[in-house]
Amino acid sequence: MPEHAPELDDLVSQDYAAGFVTDIAADTLPPGLDEQVVRAISAKKEEPEWMTEWRLDAFRRWQAMRPPRWAHVSFPDIDFQAISYFSAPKGDRPKSLDEVDPELLRTYEKLGIPLHERAKLAGVDESEQAVPEVAVDAVFDSVSVATTFKDKLREAGVVFCSMSEAIAEHPDLVRRYLGSVVPKPDNFYSALNSAVFSDGSFVYIPKHTRCPMELSTYFRINAENTGQFERTLIIADEGSYVSYLEGCTAPMRDDNQLHAAVVELVALDDAEIKYSTVQNWYPGDEQGRGGIYNFVTKRGACLGARSKISWTQVETGSAITWKYPSVMLRGADSVGEFYSVALTRNRQQADTGTKMVHIGPRTKSTIVSKGISAGHSRNSYRGLVRMNPAAAGARNYTQCDSLLIGDTCGANTFPYIESKLPAAVVEHEATTSKVSDEQLFLCQQRGIDPEKAVAMIVNGFCKDVFRTLPMEFAVEAAKLLEVSLEGAVG
Amino acid sequence: MAGSTADPAVATSSALARRLLDIETSDRSSWLDRAACQAVIARGLPDTRGEPWKYTNVNRWYDVALATHDPAALGIEAPDDVLVVDFDDPRTRPLTAAHRGKAFDLEEHPLAAVNGLLLDAGMAIVVPDDWHGEAPVRISDDGPSYQHILLVVGRGASITLVEEACGFTHRIVEAVVEPGGQLRHLRRQRPTPRRECSLVAVHLDRDARYELAQSSRGAELRRNDVVVTLAGSGAQVTVNGAWRLIDREHLDTQVAVNHVAPQGFSRQTYRGVVADRARAVLNGRIHIAAGAKATDAALNTKNLLATDSAEVYAKPELEIFESDVQCSHGATVGTLDEEAVFYLRSRGLSDKAARALLVDGFLREAIADDEGAARLEVVA
Amino acid sequence: MSLLEVRDLHVNVDDKPILKGLDLTVEAGEVHAVMGPNGSGKSTLANVLAGRPGYDIDVGSITLDDEDLTAATPDERAHRGLFLAFQYPIEIPGVSNMEFLKAAVDAHAVHTGLSEPSAVDFIKRARATAEQLHLSADFLKRGVNEGFSGGEKKRNEILQMLLLEPRLAVLDETDSGLDIDALQVVAEGINAFRAGDNAIVLVTHYQRLLNYVVPDHVHVLIDGRIARSGDHTLAHTLEDEGYGWLDG
Repeated sequence: MPEHAPELDDLVSQDYAAGFVTDIAADTLPPGLDEQVVRAISAKKEEPEWMTEWRLDAFRRWQAMRPPRWAHVSFPDIDFQAISYFSAPKGDRPKSLDEVDPELLRTYEKLGIPLHERAKLAGVDESEQAVPEVAVDAVFDSVSVATTFKDKLREAGVVFCSMSEAIAEHPDLVRRYLGSVVPKPDNFYSALNSAVFSDGSFVYIPKHTRCPMELSTYFRINAENTGQFERTLIIADEGSYVSYLEGCTAPMRDDNQLHAAVVELVALDDAEIKYSTVQNWYPGDEQGRGGIYNFVTKRGACLGARSKISWTQVETGSAITWKYPSVMLRGADSVGEFYSVALTRNRQQADTGTKMVHIGPRTKSTIVSKGISAGHSRNSYRGLVRMNPAAAGARNYTQCDSLLIGDTCGANTFPYIESKLPAAVVEHEATTSKVSDEQLFLCQQRGIDPEKAVAMIVNGFCKDVFRTLPMEFAVEAAKLLEVSLEGAVG
Repeated sequence: MAGSTADPAVATSSALARRLLDIETSDRSSWLDRAACQAVIARGLPDTRGEPWKYTNVNRWYDVALATHDPAALGIEAPDDVLVVDFDDPRTRPLTAAHRGKAFDLEEHPLAAVNGLLLDAGMAIVVPDDWHGEAPVRISDDGPSYQHILLVVGRGASITLVEEACGFTHRIVEAVVEPGGQLRHLRRQRPTPRRECSLVAVHLDRDARYELAQSSRGAELRRNDVVVTLAGSGAQVTVNGAWRLIDREHLDTQVAVNHVAPQGFSRQTYRGVVADRARAVLNGRIHIAAGAKATDAALNTKNLLATDSAEVYAKPELEIFESDVQCSHGATVGTLDEEAVFYLRSRGLSDKAARALLVDGFLREAIADDEGAARLEVVA
Repeated sequence: MSLLEVRDLHVNVDDKPILKGLDLTVEAGEVHAVMGPNGSGKSTLANVLAGRPGYDIDVGSITLDDEDLTAATPDERAHRGLFLAFQYPIEIPGVSNMEFLKAAVDAHAVHTGLSEPSAVDFIKRARATAEQLHLSADFLKRGVNEGFSGGEKKRNEILQMLLLEPRLAVLDETDSGLDIDALQVVAEGINAFRAGDNAIVLVTHYQRLLNYVVPDHVHVLIDGRIARSGDHTLAHTLEDEGYGWLDG
């Protein structure tokens, strides 16, 4: 008897490369949350009075709310008084990249995030695979530490800055749109975020402008016992286009840390926003110790006619994921898309999916979700497709596939379909499969080792989603999956 | 007869629970464990906030839960050799010992606990081992408010149950199919202005088979819970459902197929047509437990909305804890294919006739004529 | 030294003995046909040579180029040059044929210490080989065996064999389910592969394929043992008279 295929479970181990801690002096508020803390955060950020009041209103609403219980995840109650709501590297925000603490620059370098604006060399042959330029907003714990390529973007009229700067410099846009897509009391965590959010990215693309480069925000949680509550707002004015990338990592720690972000997207007439996430928060260890609680509210509003919002997410991290990037399809003929790969292993729990709310006529939405469960993890797709009475001619297509690796994991699918309209069409399909012994044997017979074979089969399973990612992100995502599936081969 | 009080309007779960725990309940023998029923009710009856009653206002059923109805007898016809006994009969005792609690979990069906406390009529039907015959068991509609029918299909036996499922406040049909047994269940629901709920709970042993064909017209409030557990290896289940709702009718169908043992096979097919201001809810769940290897499970539901003010809520669910399975579901909501309407009209049919023909064909994808589809026709 | 030596092989599948003391020696440059009635253990032999999980070797040994492979994993055997053309090729959705072939060729290159072929060279070679088997270039872009016809799946197996250039190719019922045109294409592929430094074991139920690929030796497998061996004329005898005359 040959020592044949190693147990599939063994192929799924953990190897978290982003788990280091940066030793840097930080200015951190003591744990606890009350009105004084909310005022203190607002004061630290030198915010105008209206912003402070906005936060306090959110805080009062939050106090009357309870954490949601309906998701298929379980964890001990969070003590919201044991969390620190603000932590920032000491010192004033650097005015330029040269002033950024070298320790921070090294951190991002180690994570593979370029915080430099290395210009493309003149005379380089076009066919050489030049790395496309990407503007980065780097958020470290509670604050944005650097934003690159600001000048170049300004030339195009694009605003890409930290939320703190936006409140100071673009108050009209912020007042008009902040909380317009995700209202403060939308849910427990959005209310909390509205009260205490510290920083995040703000993007405004003016009319008829195609953003000249990819924009990205890189979130890093570093401090201990600190929650991260960032706030992102992207406004694409009429006829504009932007592709936005988001990455996240955190050190390996035995305690759980809370990440409760809110992302709001607004697309006006004929505008398009493509929002891609590669989420690799620390997932906790094999026993389920530590890891990030990722309780995030992401929602886009297709306000304008023919506007389009597309979410692509590759989720491999977090101890618990609770996240439903959604699209409110208001504008006639607007389009919403959701492409997701969620990989869970060890004791990870993911309850993720989307909401497509069809309000305007002839609105279209597509949902493609690929869930991969391994180890003792739980992976649930939860999605809502709603056809409101005015959405005549609307269409949705949903494809939800689950892949199970090993016998101790679970995969759930909970699609909610609500239709009040005969002239709308909703189609939903879901399948469940496994990496079969036969497939593994075929690959092995052709000389491909089992670890590589599993990665290849999983990548094939996810192909429909990967092809929607910007190219350099697709490569990163595939690599991330491979690393996540890597492990001791028996 | 229980709860024959002057004011039946109770409205909320907690008020009803208090009333239920206070009143002297029926002294008739219950099949369900009365203390367990009380415990479930004491923990609280469901309200509209929870997932199981997301789309149906359960308070509207609570309003009628204690109302008095005609205490008629339960109409059951059965072939010779098939034993039919009242729950009061001592012959039901061994059945209690052998089968109680197998087919469903009281915790998950709190309305069954209300039934357990207020039971008006309970009958056990036992089909002997290896019994085969053409003659069906028949359960008629109407009768007392709270009804409970237990059916035990013996080893290798095969029988058809024809059930008219209408005219009660709550009915439980509980079936245990022993190894190799087969139960075919034709369930028909006529239109009614009442508010009524029912639970069909089936436990399948090794190589047992269960086929349900349920055709439903609407009610002011009609809720059908179906739970089938494939407890023995090689069990097979087919659940087919078709419904047609008009006016302000409301139908909520909740089906759970639980694969616990290996080599199970299940197919669920639903077709619904909803018109006027009616509302249809379908929650179809496939649950596959760890160890239920080589399970093959599928669900398919299609819904037609016939008017602008009709509503459909569909939620097909998968809960899978075993990798060695083949499992899928599909759901669509839409309206009649206008191409097909045009095709038929080009062959000379009127618009109305074309649509009627297409709707009938659509419903017959789930339920055959002799299974009750014919009775789904609506005289427009 | 022989290319393949199988000694006294006893194999159980699901605790049932299938092979009961099988011996087989294959020299470089030879083509062997293994024939036999249904249930005689032909496919078991093919699978156990490749190390398919679930085929337990009770007693006996498998040696390829003097190296004992009895306990080797399927990928180790592949690296040593053992190739199995599957009777029922498996689908791998989403993984393109080209990607799969490149991964396999690269894995072999790593093992033999050669550098991986460049993507351009590989694509050229894969296209040329596909053309030789009357497969369109588009075929290489499709998912592995996903939606392939029966004939396409079998030709895909031959394509992989030609690209991987094994020392020993074991073809398990590669002729089954093929029409006469496809059979000829497959046979041409096999003959193109046939060379002095490799060997082929054809497992087949029918003599049909042997009209196109003429074997040096024919073995008849009955009830887990080789009951008779001979030259290619034995196949014709079997075709005419069936297996019955070998019983008892």
